[in-house]
Amino acid sequence: MASINEQLREQARKLLADKVVDLIIGYRKGSLPLRSTPYLVKTEEEAGSLIFDLTSSNNLAKYLPRVKTENRGSKIGIVCKGCDGRSVVQLIIEGQVKREDIVIIGVPCEGVVDTRKVRKKTGGEEVLRVSLPVLPGSGGREIMVEGRGFKITLDKEEVLCDVCLGCQHPNPPLYDLFIGRPREGSSARDEFKALEEFERLSSDERWRYFEHEASRCIRCYACRDACPLCYCEQCFVDETHPQWFGKGPDSSDTLIFHIVRALHTAGRCVSCGACVRACPVGINLNPLWVRIEKEVKERFGYTAGLSLEVTPPLATYDENDKQEFIL
Amino acid sequence: MRNPYIPIPVKVSRVRVESDDKTLKTFDVSFDSKEERFEFMPGQFCQLSIMGKGEAPFGIASSPTEREFLRFTVNRIGVVTTALHYLEEGDIIGLRGPLGNSYPIERFRGENVVIIGGGFAFTTLRALTVYLCANRDEFKDITIIYGARRPGLLLYRDELAEWEKRGDLNLYLTIDKPVAGWDKRVGFVPTVTKEIAPNPKGAWAVVCGPPVMIKFTLPVLLELGFPPERIYTSLERRMKCGIGKCGRCNIGSKYVCLDGPVFSYAELQRLPEYEG
Amino acid sequence: MSEEIFKLEKDNLEGFLLYLSQKYNLFLPRRVDDQLSFGQMKPGGKPSLDHYFNTDLPPKEVFFPQRETLLSYEGGEVKHSTYKAKPIALFGVRPCDTKGIILLDRVFAEGEYEDPYWKARRTNSLLLTLGCNAPLSTCFCHWFNLGPFNKEGTDIFLTDIGDAYLVEPCSKKGEECLRGTSLLGATGDDRKVAEEIRRKAESSLSERVEISSLKGRLLALWEEDLWEDISQKCLSCAACSYLCPTCHCFDIQEEGSQEKGERIRIWDSCMFKLFTQEAAGTNPRPTPKERLRQRIMHKFSYFLDNLGEFGCVGCGRCIRGCPVNLDIREVIKAVKSFIVESR
Ligand SMILES: Cc1cc2nc3c(=O)[nH]c(=O)nc-3n(C[C@H](O)[C@H](O)[C@H](O)COP(=O)(O)OP(=O)(O)OC[C@H]3O[C@@H](n4cnc5c(N)ncnc54)[C@H](O)[C@@H]3O)c2cc1C
Ligand code: SF4
Ligand code: SF4
Ligand code: SF4
Ligand code: SF4
Ligand code: SF4
Ligand code: FES
Repeated sequence: MASINEQLREQARKLLADKVVDLIIGYRKGSLPLRSTPYLVKTEEEAGSLIFDLTSSNNLAKYLPRVKTENRGSKIGIVCKGCDGRSVVQLIIEGQVKREDIVIIGVPCEGVVDTRKVRKKTGGEEVLRVSLPVLPGSGGREIMVEGRGFKITLDKEEVLCDVCLGCQHPNPPLYDLFIGRPREGSSARDEFKALEEFERLSSDERWRYFEHEASRCIRCYACRDACPLCYCEQCFVDETHPQWFGKGPDSSDTLIFHIVRALHTAGRCVSCGACVRACPVGINLNPLWVRIEKEVKERFGYTAGLSLEVTPPLATYDENDKQEFIL
Repeated sequence: MRNPYIPIPVKVSRVRVESDDKTLKTFDVSFDSKEERFEFMPGQFCQLSIMGKGEAPFGIASSPTEREFLRFTVNRIGVVTTALHYLEEGDIIGLRGPLGNSYPIERFRGENVVIIGGGFAFTTLRALTVYLCANRDEFKDITIIYGARRPGLLLYRDELAEWEKRGDLNLYLTIDKPVAGWDKRVGFVPTVTKEIAPNPKGAWAVVCGPPVMIKFTLPVLLELGFPPERIYTSLERRMKCGIGKCGRCNIGSKYVCLDGPVFSYAELQRLPEYEG
Repeated sequence: MSEEIFKLEKDNLEGFLLYLSQKYNLFLPRRVDDQLSFGQMKPGGKPSLDHYFNTDLPPKEVFFPQRETLLSYEGGEVKHSTYKAKPIALFGVRPCDTKGIILLDRVFAEGEYEDPYWKARRTNSLLLTLGCNAPLSTCFCHWFNLGPFNKEGTDIFLTDIGDAYLVEPCSKKGEECLRGTSLLGATGDDRKVAEEIRRKAESSLSERVEISSLKGRLLALWEEDLWEDISQKCLSCAACSYLCPTCHCFDIQEEGSQEKGERIRIWDSCMFKLFTQEAAGTNPRPTPKERLRQRIMHKFSYFLDNLGEFGCVGCGRCIRGCPVNLDIREVIKAVKSFIVESR
């Protein structure tokens, strides 16, 4: 059987050749080990560089609204792992893109690597070379990383992102074609695993955790800008009429930024973890987001981005609802 | 050295509504402490600030020959400008400046000067005109072409009327569309400039106005025979520090706050980012 | 400068740092939650020098903090002050970052206006630069003729030779500082070891790309759709600018009411759309294309125009920190190899 990358390239070439799509948002190999990079493919030749693997960590749905505006009238192909696909569904529901304007190329996701976890495993030493298990379903779990004077083998479960460890939807809920075979659902995984440790904390400790994370925030907004659902023309943080919280790096202000952003994405967040991976200083507020999604699921029986039919709780979700769960 | 971020307190000595729609107000300010020496030339600007609201840059509309006050005309558009519009006589505000460069008046001496303005960007052109008039015999012909959308949006209407009476200024006023009671020119500034066709020989042109006006006026001047080195304009960019540190206002390698706001067209043509 | 090179046994590092911290407000690389940045030396505190390649955040924050009070006001009264504590010393800065500080000296303290806040922290400050025995794959300081053992701008240069540092005074300030210590001179063998380390480090650097003609190239390519291609994936965040040791852009904001509050400055970035958003509704840099082009032009063209030097020191932080792996080296290579199609 052809590898997933070969199949992906083949299908992409075909879509372009048959003019089913004008361009494809995908990934190609990045300039660093363990990094792939978003890639906008316009020609069949470029399609030959497409890849999908454990390093395809960006949420490509982010680019849909922009690519759409910059290429009016074009039909856009997009490579979607589970969470990208759910974001696309959410964007369609929210009227940011039209279903008929996009062609979803589903890929079976085995999770994406958290480079920070790898960095911990190597004791801070730089990774210079890696070899990844072949996808999909090869059963391969070993990731070999090499650097100056070391060569270690990691089990992929040790270094996958937290959100991937609890992922229930490794395949996009909606697709026009699928590369390889959809993965078996991973209901065996605990959806809210990332919360386990967090929920054992007292509310004081939780607050301290958030405060500590927020205190390191440099307000580069990479998290917001990497999030496919943060597409507001004017983000609340940039509001000047009135400007209701400070723009500096004090944790009292950065906390407001993160909490309000969490509220803005409540019931819409697909737990892709793109914001956590984007952060250049390693801030992990994932528990805040996952906690909210859990709450939304328990209160409204809703999980974002699974189907075009379900009306999201947004309309009925009142921001004045009791929000004791945040703390 | 003085801390360039700290404003000097100035007192608002006069407030006047400038336009019929009240979006423009003119403020005269004077220094609280008399020792404050404030040397500037037409074309320079200041940062005006209200504590708790912020700072914004404004061209100085008065001439250094008017020693008693500094004048600014403010278009109400956002946070700071709205707060400024609430000012009353006697209020204290902060001022930083003078900032930026000025019109190259030294080079104008003994030559003709053509001043072309549009809308409320006439502020520093007023400063220039008053300065030239105060030293009238040092300059040859002075031509002023000034346009606004309608008569009520022309700045400094009393003064314009006085200038019209002077025999030593060629003043052409124009509005975009005809209205009852207007007996002067009608038409956009670039078109009117073309009609008037000021003679480029031994002349300098200074153009200030909204970007579209500048965009269409510059080619007219070139066509008339003004070389780019003899056409000056004043640019606007969003600014914060006003002293070339905050990195906000550059066009290519030039900081508008420091190297400008006055540039010759020739200089601008050499800047990669200038889209004229 | 004196030819004298001293030797500091690692066992005596603590004492040396203590000596420094008596005279200086000492900052050194400190690890908090896996993140390395320059932090103040606390009594009994130790630098995090194991697995130290470079700090995640640039040392510029010591002299140009992300948030700084320009003035405070209450009632009609306005107050302002600049840094007045002990002079600052930075221990263990990498050569690229030392160069970054020198470039920011030029931005903030040269020219018509002097920035009093930068100046106050920089005055009498001491830079102790540590050579890089093990450059990262993302390090490209050598493109700018700097390199892992570049001494430019430093007061004292340190080379890690295993169980000791070679300590070389590089300025009067550095000499004076070392005069107060009882460090012994380094032996010829020590110097040989250091030389070997240096040679090894330099040869381990990635391939060097010639950038002397980059500025002209950039100007020639201003209009090309190359910029569209390069910026396609850029998210317009500020990770690259805030991690950069030479980015100096800031915003000025008010905090408080009209009665009482502060006017502060905070880091800002040309990558944000709002950076150049004008009150009239226009924006000269409306899309990521213009903004990324600005960043590249500033580093590789405008800096040269204004200060005669590149505005990038090759520290590689923006490469490591960009959420979409937009690698500035690849941008440079793309600019170099772009073929203009005749139209
Ligand atoms: C050299 C120079 C000279 C000038 N001279 C004059 C003059 O003589 N007279 C005059 O009236 N003006 C002048 N201006 C323009 C004036 O400085 C601006 O109008 C002023 O800065 C607006 O400030 P503000 O606080 O009122 O507006 P802001 O509140 O800062 O902004 C108002 C508008 O700007 C945009 N904007 C700003 N910030 C944001 C944001 N965070 N998010 C989204 N949109 C945003 C929006 O469109 C908003 O409605 C000059 C400018 C320069 C550079
Ligand atoms: S990416 Fe990280 S540092 Fe940047 S704003 Fe988000 S949490 Fe803060
Ligand atoms: S280059 Fe990378 S870090 Fe910089 S703004 Fe773009 S996405 Fe953010
Ligand atoms: S542009 Fe990037 S590599 Fe260059 S100095 Fe800045 S952060 Fe370092
Ligand atoms: S303009 Fe951009 S690249 Fe230049 S210093 Fe400012 S933030 Fe950095
Ligand atoms: S870029 Fe050069 S000087 Fe900077 S850390 Fe890397 S090797 Fe050292
Ligand atoms: S306004 Fe700060 S550089 Fe011009």
